Amino acid sequence: MDRVGTSRVTQNMLVGTSMASLQRRMSGLASVQEQLSTGKVLNRPSDSPTDTTAAMRMRSALSAQQQYLRNAQDGLAWTGMIDQTLGSVTDQVRRARELALQGASSSMSPAARTALAAEVRQIREGVLNDANTDYLGRPVFGGTTTGPLAYDATGTYVGQPDPVRRAVADGVQVRVDVAGTDVFGDGATSVFAELSDLVTALETGNEPGIRAAVDALGARMETIGAARAGIGATANRLERAVQQNQDTVIDVTASLSDIEDVDLAKAMMDLKVQEVAYQAALAGTARVLQPSLVDFLR
Amino acid sequence: MSGSFSSLMSPLSALRYSSTALDIASANIANAQTEGYTRRVVDSVSVGAPGMAAMWSRYNSAVGGVEVVGIRRSTDLLLDSRVRHEHATQAFLDQRTAVLQRLESGIGEPGDDGIAAVLADLSAAWHDLANNPGGDAARSQVLAVAATLANAVQIQARNVATEASDQRSALLALVSEVNTVAEELAATNDHIVSALQSDTDANELLDRRDLLALRLSELVGAQGTVRPDGAIDIRVQGVSLVEGKNHGTMSIASGVTPTGAADGLPVSLEIDLGGTTTAVPSGGNGEVGAVVELLDSTLPAYATELSDVARLLADGMNTAHQAGYDLDGNPGTALFGYTPGDPAGTLTVLITDPRQVAASSTPGGNLGGDNALAMAGLKDAEGAYQRLVNDFGTEVSASQRLAATQALLTTQVDRSREQLAGVNLDEEMVAMVAAQRTYEAAARVMTVLDSVLDTLINRTGLLR
Repeated sequence: MDRVGTSRVTQNMLVGTSMASLQRRMSGLASVQEQLSTGKVLNRPSDSPTDTTAAMRMRSALSAQQQYLRNAQDGLAWTGMIDQTLGSVTDQVRRARELALQGASSSMSPAARTALAAEVRQIREGVLNDANTDYLGRPVFGGTTTGPLAYDATGTYVGQPDPVRRAVADGVQVRVDVAGTDVFGDGATSVFAELSDLVTALETGNEPGIRAAVDALGARMETIGAARAGIGATANRLERAVQQNQDTVIDVTASLSDIEDVDLAKAMMDLKVQEVAYQAALAGTARVLQPSLVDFLR
Repeated sequence: MSGSFSSLMSPLSALRYSSTALDIASANIANAQTEGYTRRVVDSVSVGAPGMAAMWSRYNSAVGGVEVVGIRRSTDLLLDSRVRHEHATQAFLDQRTAVLQRLESGIGEPGDDGIAAVLADLSAAWHDLANNPGGDAARSQVLAVAATLANAVQIQARNVATEASDQRSALLALVSEVNTVAEELAATNDHIVSALQSDTDANELLDRRDLLALRLSELVGAQGTVRPDGAIDIRVQGVSLVEGKNHGTMSIASGVTPTGAADGLPVSLEIDLGGTTTAVPSGGNGEVGAVVELLDSTLPAYATELSDVARLLADGMNTAHQAGYDLDGNPGTALFGYTPGDPAGTLTVLITDPRQVAASSTPGGNLGGDNALAMAGLKDAEGAYQRLVNDFGTEVSASQRLAATQALLTTQVDRSREQLAGVNLDEEMVAMVAAQRTYEAAARVMTVLDSVLDTLINRTGLLR
């Protein structure tokens, strides 16, 4: 259209060409201006259908990664809470075993054993309390129970032993709780029964019973230690997942920005070029539309 | 000099010719900007001896004069027909692109407000519920986001429906304009035939005829054929709309009711000419063709694809939800509901009680979140929606490109026509000056002849 390969040119053609090129320059300016003011090169699907799909995928992935990050951080809170509780339980069970070792000595007077029994009873309460530790209202050793407790006062497991999982990546779910029965046992085989037995043995001066309790508590400490190691490994895994998710979020955000966002330097250059072209079109139009033969005929 | 006074006739004819030339130059200048005006050219011939003088006589004069044989419109039938064709295609593409762009602006992708963003939000809400299945807030959040999603899908479905309804109204208006223009064109045809028969200047009527035919082409992609008597016949997809002074009436046979509602059938048009009704074949051009194409394929195709996304979403979510158990241990019920005929337009959330959100995968009323995790992982609808946006974006951008390419072609034929028919003011100025000088020269010839006759009449025979 820019080439005037014609034999006759009329004023209307000049006007039409001028109008068309002014319009073209204006729309060029408008498109650069839109990019600059929205900060985006992709403002609607037809700007680039392929990039739009890619951008939608990335936005979806970004949202999922951010969610996985939240999930993993929530999982870390669970594992942190469990680790801390297990630490406290270990200390208490160790103390109970020390007391049992003291009480096992045949030189102990019944009064002293009763005093030890009183402390062990306190320890049993403390361990029961720890076993019912909750995170945001849920007992962390209670699995998926709706109730507030994992163990009742008799030491019977009242939780629901389903695992609590957190999704930390596509298709990757991590168990963030520890089944209460794996740590504390249940009913007659529970740490509470062992502590109760110790109390009874101390109060009745049953030395074989006390020694049996020493062994039982030793075994329990190993069980708890194993559970603690397990939850520590889970925490490590979650930490890695958090790290990975944070990295992915940064990567995907950068890629999304590459596709969607305007290259400011380039857009400014484009704007300048369009501006110059527009001014040239305006100046050309002003020059070409002015003169006519009328000006020269008298 | 054949006769004393006959010599005066030659400059007289020149005076007449140059005043006609001046008139035409001034008419051309006056109409330089008039739409549809074609440049007039004065055709003149020099007058010589008659081909045959009177019986038994001969003509021995050496002089003649000039005679205006006609005022010609500087036009080309072939070019006019080409202009009509390109304008019809341009009108089709422009109309279609405008509608597609309007529809596209309602999609809001890629961005934070589109359906894709809400789909991601829903997945996040399910994850949050899996993290905290006992929390009322997490449960309500799932329902709220699901409702937002249903609403967003409904809004898009409504956008498409509104656009279709607008286009139906537009079609009624366009068809009525077609009939008005056809009637006017038939009347113009009639005037042209009688004007040409009585040898009256019909140029203005011919300009009017071409303008109306062009408008009909833009409206319905009509093809025109000029008849020897000066009238133009108009056919739409091979069906006659205007035949000389008779015009047909276009009407909508099916697809759109007179009130602008849809009747469920594809849109079809018919033309009633002289008592015979003929159906117009589909695949038309021009604005009407674009509207029919939008109503019959583009808009329904988009609505169907959107409904597929809605159905995929609702069915997938419902199946997964029904596999789980709610807070009270009951099996989950359907989360989304829709009318099978129009899933996208009727998508709603059926569950209102947050306790009924089935987060657990085991019965018994526990705080398990495995089912919520499974629902968070449902990505089918998201993929289908991305394909929908991709397809539609491709269609819009293809339509824009076609319209831009066609604009080059249309501009080119318009230029060619303007080259031939447009008024160049400089040319007219030159023609005006030439006519002025001719007039002056002819007047001078008159003066000379007058002086010659003065010599003959007043001085002959006087001896002084």
